[in-house]
Amino acid sequence: MGIRKLALVGALAVASMSAFYVSARAEDVKITVWSLDRDIQPAPNLIKDFNNLKTGITVEYRQIQFDDVVSEAMRAYSTGQAPDIIAVDNPEHALFSSRGAFLDLTDMISQSSVVKPANYYPGPLKSVMWKDRYFGIPKATNTIALYYNKDMFKAKGLDPAKPPQTWAELVDTARKLTDPAKNVYGITFSAKANEEGTFQFLPWAQMGGGGYDKINTPGAVKALQTWKTIIDEKLASRDTLTRSQWDSTGTFNSGNAAMAISGPWELDRMVKEAKFDWGVALLPLPEADAKRSSAMGDFNWAIFANSKHPKEAFKVLEYFVSQDSRMFKDFGQLPARSDLAIPPTGQPLKDAALKVFQEQLKFAQPRGPHPAWPKISKAIQDAIQAALSGQMSAQEALDQADKKIKAVLG
Amino acid sequence: MRRLLLSIRDGRGFDIGLVSVPLIFLFAMAGLPLIYNIVMSFQEVDMFSLGTFARPFVGFKNYITLFSQPETWPILGNTAIFVVASIAGQFTIGFALALFFWTGFPGSSWLRGLFLVSWVMPGLVVGAIWNWILSGDFGVLNFLLKESGLVAANIFWRSDPNFSLWAVVIANIWLGISFNMILLSVGLSAIPQDLYEAAELDGANVVQRFYTITLPMMRSSIGALVALGLIFTLQQFDLFAAITAGGPNNSSNVAQYWAWDLSFRQYDFAQGATISVIMIVFVMFASVVYVRSTRHEVRG
Repeated sequence: MGIRKLALVGALAVASMSAFYVSARAEDVKITVWSLDRDIQPAPNLIKDFNNLKTGITVEYRQIQFDDVVSEAMRAYSTGQAPDIIAVDNPEHALFSSRGAFLDLTDMISQSSVVKPANYYPGPLKSVMWKDRYFGIPKATNTIALYYNKDMFKAKGLDPAKPPQTWAELVDTARKLTDPAKNVYGITFSAKANEEGTFQFLPWAQMGGGGYDKINTPGAVKALQTWKTIIDEKLASRDTLTRSQWDSTGTFNSGNAAMAISGPWELDRMVKEAKFDWGVALLPLPEADAKRSSAMGDFNWAIFANSKHPKEAFKVLEYFVSQDSRMFKDFGQLPARSDLAIPPTGQPLKDAALKVFQEQLKFAQPRGPHPAWPKISKAIQDAIQAALSGQMSAQEALDQADKKIKAVLG
Repeated sequence: MRRLLLSIRDGRGFDIGLVSVPLIFLFAMAGLPLIYNIVMSFQEVDMFSLGTFARPFVGFKNYITLFSQPETWPILGNTAIFVVASIAGQFTIGFALALFFWTGFPGSSWLRGLFLVSWVMPGLVVGAIWNWILSGDFGVLNFLLKESGLVAANIFWRSDPNFSLWAVVIANIWLGISFNMILLSVGLSAIPQDLYEAAELDGANVVQRFYTITLPMMRSSIGALVALGLIFTLQQFDLFAAITAGGPNNSSNVAQYWAWDLSFRQYDFAQGATISVIMIVFVMFASVVYVRSTRHEVRG
């Protein structure tokens, strides 16, 4: 009798629990999103707006640190606790898609009325692709261009309306602008031994007809040789080898460098800090008629392959995409789309700069995509540093990098 | 049965019980990760097999690849230079300071306490500050060197391959001096004063007293300190991350930073584990020295 009663109670408990479960499910589908966006950046705000729409999908957000994105995601994925949606840095996208960790979105995108591949810049779009299939959607994008101090141009008798167009002109202009007595270097950039160094150098190699898979072509060697000239002739600080892009551009803002190579993330600080007239120009080319190229940064959205609600997750992504036009105005980030006009901000220097960055974005190339990108990048960083520190010639350093990269590519 | 119970309450069993608690703790917290690390160095590991133990064993392949890389020996050499130079600098300056404060001038005890501030600071903060001091164009160190006429042109401490490793060594010496000084001060104050009085009566001068009394009496302190110094410098990571990031071109890269870089930046966990295993061997050696030198610590 006792046992029977107990069994009955047990059955009841199970029944009521599953009933509760079913009713909860009927109410809302829960989607989790991980990204590195802080409270003033897009993801948490877009999610708040999305949840207010009461679409039957509730989104939960978790912020992760930049350095932890890949390792956290991997750990979560291999233990079956991955989120539905994640934002991942574009050179690392291929690592996930090549191993089947990300969901193939090609079919969903082809049926979507919101996400249209034709609307995107080719560079960001290429970074979410693996074997001609889409494994994500570009979240935002950025690139690098040449900032220059117009007041210093005038002071040295240079025309501020004519920034350097070629590498030779760039070196020449830097020579004229360098003024050791006033603690002014001609130019500043970053050749740091991390992804930033690769990010800054690769566009130069690509403009010279090279690329990560052919890093020792004559054009790429000439690019590194140009960098070496700049360092050797003290047209840029030797600390370029250990300084980040943010710190390097800081010296431009304080008037200790006359030109700087960096991205649009500098704009807000520069508007505030730079007490001089400045402008932005496209990256100089090896020759006047050479093909343009530029770096491409920022994150992509992706859905994990083991998500239980891929359809709902895609709906969330569609919402994010539909809000792309707010990206710059509200969060200061550039949408990866060429079909959206960015409204003026009322800040003339910033608006002029934006036009140049948007033009430069047309030529932005992703790093890779390749699943072993960090190893390829490391080989390039080592080559840059070996050449700039004078331990090897540009040719030797890039030959060595090419050998290492060929070993990775197989 | 009764005897067993009795021994647990007060006897051998009780002793074993007491010892087993820290032993189990140590095994779970340090032993298991250590074994896991060694196992990993013989396996093929990538990000997707991190969550499982069933990974293919590859024998010594990771070790062979590691030593066939051109940067391996220079990095191990850097590690040796870093450890030896750091310990030598920390110990010499720390000992000098300890002897200085031992003279007991007014205010010496609280001044000695203040020195510990450098030891309390987090490595990343120390690194960031030294990063500014050592900066090539606007660094304080370069300013001082130039104003005093010691150098003609700025030294790019962080970016010149001839100086980058030494930049980190300087910061690390600064960081470790106070710890060395405090431990040596403790050792010094444990030497009975009457030994010195007797020696003085016998006509021994200052130098003789130092070499025949101070140094021999400090033997165990010094042994322990050098062993601890070896362990602390081998785990020094923050300063590298903050000052040079191992650059330029690995000229300031050391084993501990490289292991992290391989594991968490290049996602090559097996290689990272392999380097860690090599480092474990050295730390084991230091531990043996430490244990042996502190064994005689019980003084009358």
